[in-house]
This record gives sequence, C-alpha cells and structure tokens, in this order.
Amino acid sequence: MNSDDQLMLEFQQGAREAFVELFERYREPIYGFFRRRLDHPARAEELAQECFLALLQNVQRYEPRASFRNYLYGIAIHLVAAERRKAGREVVENEKLDSRAVEGNAAENSDAGIWVRKALGHLDNSEREILMLREYEQLSYGEIAAVLRMPVDTVRSRLFRARAALKDQLMPVK
Amino acid sequence: MERHAQHAFDAEEVMAYLDGELEPRRASALAAHLVSCGECQEVAQGFRALSERMLNFEVEHPSAGMNETVLAALDSGKSSSESNAKDAVAHKGWNWRRVFARPRNWAIACAITAVTILAIAIPHTFRERSLPINGRSFTNLVTLERETPADKADHNGLFHGLHNGSEAAFSIDGQAANGELHAPETVGPMIVQTASLNVLATNYDEASAAIEKLAAAHGGYVEKLDAKAQTGNARELSAALRIPSKQLDGFLADVRKLGHVEEENRSNEEVGDQYVDLQARLKSARATEQRLIELLGTRTGKLQDVLEAERELARIRGAIESMQGQSTILVHRVNYATVQVELSEEYRQVLGTGSVSTGTKIRNALVEGFTNLEEGAVGLVVFLFSYGPSLLFWMAIVLVPGWFAWKRFRVRAQG
Repeated sequence: MNSDDQLMLEFQQGAREAFVELFERYREPIYGFFRRRLDHPARAEELAQECFLALLQNVQRYEPRASFRNYLYGIAIHLVAAERRKAGREVVENEKLDSRAVEGNAAENSDAGIWVRKALGHLDNSEREILMLREYEQLSYGEIAAVLRMPVDTVRSRLFRARAALKDQLMPVK
Repeated sequence: MERHAQHAFDAEEVMAYLDGELEPRRASALAAHLVSCGECQEVAQGFRALSERMLNFEVEHPSAGMNETVLAALDSGKSSSESNAKDAVAHKGWNWRRVFARPRNWAIACAITAVTILAIAIPHTFRERSLPINGRSFTNLVTLERETPADKADHNGLFHGLHNGSEAAFSIDGQAANGELHAPETVGPMIVQTASLNVLATNYDEASAAIEKLAAAHGGYVEKLDAKAQTGNARELSAALRIPSKQLDGFLADVRKLGHVEEENRSNEEVGDQYVDLQARLKSARATEQRLIELLGTRTGKLQDVLEAERELARIRGAIESMQGQSTILVHRVNYATVQVELSEEYRQVLGTGSVSTGTKIRNALVEGFTNLEEGAVGLVVFLFSYGPSLLFWMAIVLVPGWFAWKRFRVRAQG
C-alpha cells in the first residue's frame, strides 16, 4: 500500500487515482475533525470540502518536507481558525461548545458523548486542541508540534494537563 | 493523577509511554516497572479509560454530496470555493520563518535585488562614461537625450565624426548602441593640439591683464601663471592655458594682437590609436571583471581560491579605474588645446647712480677675499684628508715597483 506522501507525489504527477485514494483515506477523518469543532454539520462538510479543494489547487506547491498528515491537518487547522475568526467565536467558545452539545446533533451522540463534548468545552483552547488532535486525529506529539508550531515538550506537558483536567471533569475522584 | 513523590516514573511518562512517545530505553524500563507496580498500572488504566471514554464523542458520516463536490472539482480542475481554499493554503504558506528558511527564496530575493541594482546602476555608469569629446560636453549629451529617437540612438554613447568630415563612429567604451560589445575598428582623428607664443608686449600691464580674460572669453582657463618683475630686468609673464580646441585659432589671433610675436610654435599629435588601444584594453578588463564576478557568484571552491579570485577582481577593478582615468585625460587633452604664452615687456634701461658707497664696496671686497682664502685653505685640507690616503696607496702600488724597475734598468745600462 502506498504511503500518503507517495500518493500525493503521484497526484502531483497527474495521477487522478492517487488523489481519489487519499480522499477515501481522509474523507471521514477530515470531516470528523471539522465536525467535532463546529456546531453545524453542513458547515463542517463545507470546510472539509474546502480543505480537499485547497489540496487540489495547491498540489504543485506541495513539497514532502513533513508528512502529508501534517500538511493536510495544517490546512484544516487554518480553516477552522479562519472560521472562528469570521464567526467571532473565540470569545464564547466554551459556551458554544456547551450549547451545541445539546442543540446540535444530540441524536447522533450518546449521553457519554454529550458529556465528553461538555467536558472538552471546559478545557483551555490550546490544551483542548492538542488533546483532540491526539485522541481523534491520532497525530503523534511531533506532528501536533509541527501543526500547531510549538515545541514537542510543550505538546506533551499540555496534553498531560488536558487529560488530567478532562479526567477530573469526566471521572471525579471517588 | 497524584503520585507518590518518590515514584520512579511520573504520570506524564506513563502517558507518553501509552502514546508510544517515550524514548525506547525509558519505555522498556517503564514496561518492566508496570508489571510489578500497582500504582502505575492504575495510572495507565486511568489514561486508557479516558481515551475510551473520549471515543464516545462520535460524529456522523459525511454526506455523499461531499464526495461529488470534491471529485467534480478534481475532474474539472476548478472549485466552487476557490477563494477560501486558496486562503487556507496561502495563510498556511506565509509563514515568514519558513519563507526565510528556504534557500530558494533567498536566491530569488538576491536575483531581484541584483536586477534592480543593475537597472539603476547601468544608466548611471553609462552617463559617467559619456565624457565630453571634442567640445561635446556631458551637459550637451544629456540635452541631446531629449531629441528625436534617431538622435538618441546617435548620441547614446556613440560619437560620430570626432572631427568635421570624419565618418568614423565608435562608442566611448567600445559598446555599440544595440548593447553588443565589439571593438571599434575605425576611428576619426583625435588630435591633441599644443601651441606656444613668445610675445613682446607693447603695453605689458594691459597685455598681462588681458591674458586671463581672453582665456575665459574663449571658454578656456589658466592652468599655471608665473610673473617675474626683477630689478634691472624686463618684466615677464609665463602662462600655461587650456583652450577649447575649436577656439584655439581665435584665441591665438587675439593673443597676437597683444604685441609683437617673436616666436610661435604649433604642434598636433594624433592620439586616436592610443585611445582605441585604451578602449580595447578597458573592454577586455571589464569582460574579465564580469567573468570573475560570475565565477565568484556561481562557483564554490576552496577559501584560498575564492580569496585569490577576489584579489584578482580588486586588481582588475584598479586597472579599469586607471584606464578610465587615462581615457578621461586623453579626451580632455583632445578637447582642450595647451597654449604656452610667454609675455615680456620691452626693457628700457634706467640711468641712475648706485646706492652702495665706495668704502662699503672695498670693505665687502676685503671680506670676500678673506672668505675665499679661508674657503681655499679648508678646501685643500678637506681634499688631502679625503684623497690623501688613496693617493698614497696607489703611489705605493705603482711607484715602488717602478722604482725597482728603474734601478734595475740603470744597473744593466751601467754594466
């Protein structure tokens, strides 16, 4: 099986199938990335589309300096940041996260899922992002550090704090 | 996740171990430790449980519409959300730290800077080289640039007919108007003119004052001026003047009017070949300079080689400046004739008694006699001390064998 980077390079050479393969691999993860961070499924889908379109349009500028995952999630992170700036959500992020847990797609989430969303909403923005990238996108510490442009040690310590805080939220000491 | 203070591994390390992010040696140690340490097992279990619990935050699958949109864009090569997508990558791309870290970006920036500098420097350099030739000054050339395109081409570094009637044309730096370098093959005459005049002034005061005015009136200047007014001698004025070549005849005619011309000389020296030779060497040196610059810019080598190339470049630049200076001087000599004017007045002896008394004259003569005697005696002593030893030496060498030879000859003659 070809690696992501190899597929991207093949696509750069004009292989349509390579992109289709990449799209198949990352369609759901990228949608999940946006969906867990945004209120509305439709908007999450639009941004996921934009993420892949950005990949399409800038294929010739791609250089395999870091992993393809870094590149792709780097684009996704910027799209989310732009979306938040546009919507002015930065300030009321926590409240929104709380409310969307109930209003958004409650049907798709179990009670446990709702609690997780609510608990995530109480975390510090940076710590929450690191934790989500680790748990849901399965990025390594190094990849998270590259995407968020911070030292690996910082990623590890913040991840530890985030997990500790989340554990306190979800699993109070008996 | 509070831990015992003396525990071998902290909770953060346990977390990194579970994430596969602990360094191998430490991970092995922790794996072994986990087998026996209940407390660490509990911590690890806590992390695992948390991760499992987070997985409860599920999301629905994306709709089929997403597939269609992206794959349609793939096939059409366009997108419906072009601007946002571009922004996403553009925003991501404009990381200044990354921009500065790329050698390619530096190379592009350097190339742009070099082109800009050349674009600014070349016209200036060209103007500096457009020195006045044969009365056509720099100012004239600048003015001529406002003329018709044909005229512009004519004056754009080209000098047609250095003298009237000449059809030869060449560039001052050997560069043709179309930008191609080629050595000038034919050159019109470039004449350095010199003239000298000895004039016996009818009215010396007026004539001496008129010299400078005449030079200025003809567009020239005084290079050197010496005036002598010794008692008992006629006053003299010696002036070295630089007069525009075209004005030389008129100037000389005006100078002749100042009095009686006792002597007049004119000479012309053809320097066209010198000039062409100078320009050819200048062109060659510039080509070498350019090659060295390219060599330094594109090749890498030992430090010693680079230093050697830079030394050679400095030497070539020095030679270029020197040749440019010589070229400027040569052109100036062509444009400005050298005129040497010797002006003297008609000397009229004045009758009058001497101011020195007879007694003073006798006393002075006596003092001079003693002084001469003293100087003669001292001179003789100095001579003997200076040359005495060597005279004695050579006498001993020559006279002693001669004396013995003479004695022997006498003995034989008597015998």
